[in-house]
Amino acid sequence: MLIRIQGGRVVDPTDGRDAVGDVWIENGRIVAPSERTPDRTVDATGCVVMAGGVEVHSHIAGGNVVMSRLLLPDLYVSESAPNGHPFAHAGGSGSWVGANYAKMGYTTAVEPALPPSNALATHLELADIPLLDRGALAVLGNDDHLLQILRDGEGKNAVRDLVAHTLSHARGLGVKCINAGGASAFKDGVLKLSLDDEIPVYGLSTRKIMTALLDAVEEIGVPHPLHVHCNNLGLPGADDSFVATLDAAEGRRIHFAHAQFYAYGAVDKENPLTGGFRSAAERITEAMEAHPNATFDVGQVVFGQTVTISLDILRQFAGRKGANPKKWVLTAGDAEGGGVVPFLYKPRGGVSSLQWAIGLELMLLSKDPERTILTTDHPNGGVFTEYPRIIHLLMSREEREKEIATLPAVVGERSSLPTIEREYSLSEIAQLTRSGPAKLLGLTDRGHLRVGAKADVAVYRDSPDRTAMFSRAKLVLKDGETIVEDGEITTWRFGRTLELDVEADAAIVRRSEAYLQDRFGQGLDSFAVPDAAFPETENFEDVACRA
Amino acid sequence: MAAWVKGNAADKDAAVDAAATLLATAHTPVFAGLSAELAAIRAAYRLADRIGASLDPVAGDGLYAELGTIATGGALTTTAPETLGRADTVLVIGNRPWDGDLVAEIAKSKPVRGRAAGEERSVLSLGGPANGASRHVAYGVGNASLDVAIGHLRAFVRGNLAGEDAFGDLAKRLAAAKFGVVLFDAGEIGDAGTEMLLGLLKDLAETTRFFALPLADPFQGRAVTQLSAWTTGQAPRVGFGRHLPEHDPWCFDSDRQVAAGEVDAALWLSSLPSPRPNWLGSLPTVAIVGEGSADARPETAEIVITVGVPGSSIGGSVWNERRGVIGYVPASGQATADTAADVIADIAKKIEQKGASC
Repeated sequence: MLIRIQGGRVVDPTDGRDAVGDVWIENGRIVAPSERTPDRTVDATGCVVMAGGVEVHSHIAGGNVVMSRLLLPDLYVSESAPNGHPFAHAGGSGSWVGANYAKMGYTTAVEPALPPSNALATHLELADIPLLDRGALAVLGNDDHLLQILRDGEGKNAVRDLVAHTLSHARGLGVKCINAGGASAFKDGVLKLSLDDEIPVYGLSTRKIMTALLDAVEEIGVPHPLHVHCNNLGLPGADDSFVATLDAAEGRRIHFAHAQFYAYGAVDKENPLTGGFRSAAERITEAMEAHPNATFDVGQVVFGQTVTISLDILRQFAGRKGANPKKWVLTAGDAEGGGVVPFLYKPRGGVSSLQWAIGLELMLLSKDPERTILTTDHPNGGVFTEYPRIIHLLMSREEREKEIATLPAVVGERSSLPTIEREYSLSEIAQLTRSGPAKLLGLTDRGHLRVGAKADVAVYRDSPDRTAMFSRAKLVLKDGETIVEDGEITTWRFGRTLELDVEADAAIVRRSEAYLQDRFGQGLDSFAVPDAAFPETENFEDVACRA
Repeated sequence: MAAWVKGNAADKDAAVDAAATLLATAHTPVFAGLSAELAAIRAAYRLADRIGASLDPVAGDGLYAELGTIATGGALTTTAPETLGRADTVLVIGNRPWDGDLVAEIAKSKPVRGRAAGEERSVLSLGGPANGASRHVAYGVGNASLDVAIGHLRAFVRGNLAGEDAFGDLAKRLAAAKFGVVLFDAGEIGDAGTEMLLGLLKDLAETTRFFALPLADPFQGRAVTQLSAWTTGQAPRVGFGRHLPEHDPWCFDSDRQVAAGEVDAALWLSSLPSPRPNWLGSLPTVAIVGEGSADARPETAEIVITVGVPGSSIGGSVWNERRGVIGYVPASGQATADTAADVIADIAKKIEQKGASC
């Protein structure tokens, strides 16, 4: 079917497009303008046309996400769903996740924490998220097998082979490390860990583990750079950890998760944990400008109740004291474990207001929105459905001033947000939410509207009320098929889970089998994610490694 | 595949048609059992949503004691492999953990990872059988129930009680652990015991590392819980009578519902073995049971349909107790049997064709 989206303001920063024009689609792909009469014409007059949104860091599946639902069953509201859209309005469910992303014009979402030890359940949950293409990042950095190899100085090839095999067997799209060595250290009694602190038993450090993974990711040719959750998240002085980690990458590609939670400069350097924090957004921005090898996603805070979900058990253990309501889950799992801690970002509270300001500051100070990805680290900073409101705040200084006027003075005293005049353009929003994250994930077939791209397209009614505009897309196409009209789901379909096409070395397969049998009494089969486990016959789609 | 309708042998289509008629005309159907591979449980949730049924896994008392404690206070847990690999101290509570092989394996081995690697493991029991089957130090509970005994122990750990009696000694041993684990069955120690145990672990966590290893039920309750959570946002038991998922373990207890006369039809899903409910023969029921099982016979229910058994005649995702995760088990030979998921999907299609509204 030939489709013409006609007369809309087409915004595609990768092609320098920001003007009224047409977008042509055929067989699920963007095509060149055609002389043929289209089978369907969409009148996009008065609308903004963008590529489908791409999410790089949102906790939408996995054991800790399941646990968060058991811990806080009343966090989301459930409503009756239309026939044929099973569970679409079941608050917090996979269907709810897919439907709400789609309504906002998002068509791809990546879960950033795929524990290899629980890969099948995570993928089964991802497969039940409709409408979107999905993916997940395999987590490494605390597993005994990897740490043994590093401790024994086996060299880069051994690490590369183990990483490639883990990625392949867990069917991940990329690799993430979360407070590398932190979970192992926590189990051995450590409560605070910085880049060069020793990991007990192994004699390693976060730096050694992370740099080994940085090398492995490059050698394998993983399109997405190593996705790094640094030490000391959320602590005053965490900016030091961020900058030190950035320097430790030594020019290798690196992505920082939820940078907002590290942009906290200690007010009292001598007593960082008691003197509070001030914005370090300017310092982080300067560091990023000096390191073009790096990207970050924001982790914007949203006021209200949420639940924090992280495999950073060290951080979550410390965070339990601030649980609101006062209940929490910690899991000393195989390798990573993790924690689930409810949290209330108090509306108009001093700390939460400053956190809110710092996230916006990071985006507004950035000279390169394509390396600055919009996330709330869902649900850690807040629910992803708040993206339209965040976009509104980025695009309108007036809207920010209205919000800031309701907040405590600390926002102006400890951040520069009130003085920032910048207003994001639609092109910059597209960089923040489309082209930037797609490039970051190495997904060359999306995030733009150039010929050959997947026909993942979002059409919004242009409106100064950007919250309304981006909350309910007028039209969303996934692979050329209409899935949303006037903000409502029209077609219930399933996308694919994107996995990296990577082969494992036979020797490491044998070695892993022996290691797992010894440790678990079961081998690789018990960690497998076979196609046969999935209800859809073609659940997975390969993504090629970098040449 | 074998099937029976009202005691008479039937082909698959006739059985599916009869099942669809029964469920489509029910006012308040219940889906019980759910001891099956994940694909079948998934199909059951979708059909329940479609016709407004409630779902109640057979998983048992332990599941709700755990879920209730998680919702009110949280959890501190670890895995069996981490227990075997790291724990220098293991406290076994009650009798049920001694029924399996894990306690003996724990008692026979030493930690091999972490700061306690190579040290002797201290195995302690509270209210256990004390039969000498495995090396351990036994602490009795006297006439106290297990939940009261755990509360008593917690008072010593917190320092609210002090002294040289047995619980004082046990509290000191727990506090001295480098990586401790409590092995228990939530069904045995009950709601209050599970909640008290969480409090004990939280107290111990202030100074050391101590985690729970609750035994899983053998009827896929953990797998149902995961799927239920990502499908509905809620733990089981769940009802769809008002066209949205509502979690209420009391309201949607199938035994209670049947006894109260609240349900008029049921679907019993048991492609894996599970205890059959005593109402199976009296309530109009579609029983989807594993081929070759004791329930694969015409008297089991009004409509009986046999299906493949995961790990035997079909492949499927099921709970892997050893690893504490969902894992895939292939068919042991060539997969030939109809799956429960396909049968339920066929019933759903037939209901759709019948145009049943709910």
